[in-house]
Amino acid sequence: MLSLCFHALLGLSIFALGFVLEPSGRSDWGNNPGDAVVAQLVSGAPIPIPKPDVPTENIVANESKGVTQTVPQPRPVETTDGITIPGHVIKPKAEKVVTATNIKPHPIPTPETAVPYGEGGAARGPYSSFSAPNTSGGVSAENSNFGGKYAWYVDAVKRTVKDNWLMYEIDPHIVAPHRAYVDFDILRDGTPDNIRLVQSSGVPTLDQSALRALHRVDKFGALPEGNRQTFEFWFDYPPK
Amino acid sequence: MFKVKRTISASLVVVVVLSLAPAAFAFQGKITVELNMGQERPRLAAADFRLANVDPQASPLNTVFNETLWFDLDNAGIFEMVGKSFYPLQTPSSPVELKAPAWSNQPTNAGLLAFGNLGVSAGKVDVQGWLIDVKNPTSPPVLGKQYREDATVDNARLIAHRFADEIIARIGGGIPGIAESKLFFISNRTGAKEVWSMDYDGANQQELTHLRSIALSPQVSPDRSRVAFTALTKDSWQIMMYSLDLGRTVSFPRFGGDTFSTAWSSDGTKIAFASTMNTGISEIHIADASGAGARRLTASRGGDVSPVFNPKTNGQIAFVSGRTGLPQIYIMDADGSNVQRITDQGYAVSPAWSPNGLLLAFSWIRSYGPGVLGGADIYVMDIASRQIVQLTHDGGRNDFPSWSPDGRHIVFESTRAGNQQIWSVLADGTHLQQLTRSGRNTQPNWSYQ
Repeated sequence: MLSLCFHALLGLSIFALGFVLEPSGRSDWGNNPGDAVVAQLVSGAPIPIPKPDVPTENIVANESKGVTQTVPQPRPVETTDGITIPGHVIKPKAEKVVTATNIKPHPIPTPETAVPYGEGGAARGPYSSFSAPNTSGGVSAENSNFGGKYAWYVDAVKRTVKDNWLMYEIDPHIVAPHRAYVDFDILRDGTPDNIRLVQSSGVPTLDQSALRALHRVDKFGALPEGNRQTFEFWFDYPPK
Repeated sequence: MFKVKRTISASLVVVVVLSLAPAAFAFQGKITVELNMGQERPRLAAADFRLANVDPQASPLNTVFNETLWFDLDNAGIFEMVGKSFYPLQTPSSPVELKAPAWSNQPTNAGLLAFGNLGVSAGKVDVQGWLIDVKNPTSPPVLGKQYREDATVDNARLIAHRFADEIIARIGGGIPGIAESKLFFISNRTGAKEVWSMDYDGANQQELTHLRSIALSPQVSPDRSRVAFTALTKDSWQIMMYSLDLGRTVSFPRFGGDTFSTAWSSDGTKIAFASTMNTGISEIHIADASGAGARRLTASRGGDVSPVFNPKTNGQIAFVSGRTGLPQIYIMDADGSNVQRITDQGYAVSPAWSPNGLLLAFSWIRSYGPGVLGGADIYVMDIASRQIVQLTHDGGRNDFPSWSPDGRHIVFESTRAGNQQIWSVLADGTHLQQLTRSGRNTQPNWSYQ
C-alpha cells in the first residue's frame, strides 16, 4: 500500500513538473536562426575514416635482428654439492668454452625487396591499383624498364583487360583457387597480338574466360615506346 | 566501360607484380605491390591553365577553356577528379615549374596532373598542355600538346575538347574520347518537329532541316556525312536523307506504304528499317545504304519496328515486336533467322546496342497495365548472360536511349523535368545531366565518332 502511494506521488510529481518547466508554449521547430551544426566523427561511422597523415618523428622499431650477432651466455656449471645417491656416480661435465671462433653464425635471410638502409628512398609503384569485383589478377611487363617509365600505360592495360573479363563465363561451382597465366604482345599501334595461354589453371572455363578477355580488346592504345611489348596477365578465381 | 558484373561490390586484394626500372630505383628485380583499397580510377588533377600573356582577349578564352576541359574530363567516366580545393596554391604553366610532390602527396594525392598555359597573340590563341604522371615525375610526360587556332570562344572550346580527348584516349586504354562527337535529335522549338544537332555537352544547338512537317527518328551515318530520318510526306511516312556535307536533304528512294525507324550498319553499307510496303503490317527490312535491294526479314502478325544493327559484327539485329501482345525486344541474325525474344514482360521498346556489341539498352515499363505503378525507365541488358541493370529511376518517362561511341555514356529522352528533354548519363547510372531546355526535344542519336 505504501509502495502504491509513493508511485502515485511520483507520477503526479512528474506530471506537475511538465507544466512548471514548459518554457513558453511555442515551438521553435524550423525557426532556428542558424546555429552552426556540430558534427562529430565517431568510430562507428559507416565509412572508413582515413587515418591522419601525420608523420612520426620516432625511429620505428622492427623485428630485424640487426647486423650484430648475440653471443650466448655460458650456461651455469652443475655442481655435485647435493646428496650423493649411493651407487650413482655423477661425472663432472666438461665446461664448454665459448669462443668467438666456434659460434655458428645464424644467417639472416634478406627479403627480396629489402632496401639497404638509406639507399631506398620513397616507395614507388604504379599510381593506381587493379581491383575487380569478385576477381583478382595481376600483370607483369616483360621489359622491366617499360613498367617503370610507363606505369600509366600498364595501368590502362590492366583496366582494359579487367573490363573485358566476364566472370559469368567461369564455372560458378569453382571453390578452390585457380590461376591462369596468359601472355600477349601489344604492337606499336596498341593492337594485342600473339595471345597465348602459358599456364592452364586446370579449369577450362577460367582459361577460356581469360583468353576471351584479351580477344575482346581491339586496341589498348598506342605504345608510348617501342614496337612491341610483351605482357603477362594472371587471372585468379575465386578471389583470394 | 560498364559491366553488369559490377553490380556486385567488393574490394579485394590484388597482387600486382611489376618489373620496375633498374636505373630509376635503388633495387632491382620484381617488386610485389599489394593493393587492396579498391582505387579503380586514376586520380586526375586538372589545374586551371595559366595565362601566357596579358592580352585582354586571353582571360575570357582561358575561362571557357578551363571550364570545358574540366567538364570533359569529369564527364569521361574514367577518372576520379581531384577537387580544386585540394590543389597547391602554385599551379604550373610548364613542366619546369612543376613540383610533383606537392601534387602527388596528401592532400592532393593525384596520380596524374593536366596543366598548361593559354595565350593570345595576333588574333590567334595558343595553348600548350601537358599530362604528367606525378607519382613518377622522372618518367617522360604522358602527353604534351600544342594548339593554335583563331582566337574565338568556339575555338577555345574546340581546343579544350581535343586536349581532353587526347588525355582520355591515352589513359582510357586507347578508346577515343567523345568530346568532339555530335548528337542529333528532334525538336519542335521552331514550331515544327525538325532535326537538330548539338555538341555532346549540349552546346552549339543548330536546326538542320526546315521541312515544316513532322520529322522523326534521326540516325546519323557512321562516317557522319548523312542523317537518315523519317518524315511525313503528302501521303505517307518516308525515309529522308540529310547531307551534313551539303547542308540539305538529298534524294532517297520512296517505298510503298509507310516506312519508319532507319538504322545504319556500323560499316555504313546497309540500312535496316520498318516498312509496311509488302504486307500492310510493319516488318523489318534491310537494304543497301542507297536504298537499293530492299528485302524483308520478318513476317509476323504483330508488327515489327525499331531495328538496330549490332555494331560490333553487323550480324545481328535487335528490334521491337508486338507478335505476342505488348511490345517486346527481340534479336535475330541479320538474315532474319534465329529470332529470340529477350524481354518477357511489360512494355519494352527502343533497343540500342552498345558499341562493343555486348550490351543492349532499351526503354521498359516493367509492369505494364492499368493502375500499375512505375513508368518507362532505361535498362541495360548483357546479351550473353541476360542480366539486366536499371539505369534510371523514378524520373518520368524515359525513352530512346542511344550509346556514345566510347560505350561509356547513354543519351536518352526524359520527362523528368516536366516536358520531353534530352538527358545524358554515364552507363553506370551516374553523372545524369540535362542537355536541352528549350521546346520539346526527343529521340536523340549519338554519332559514331
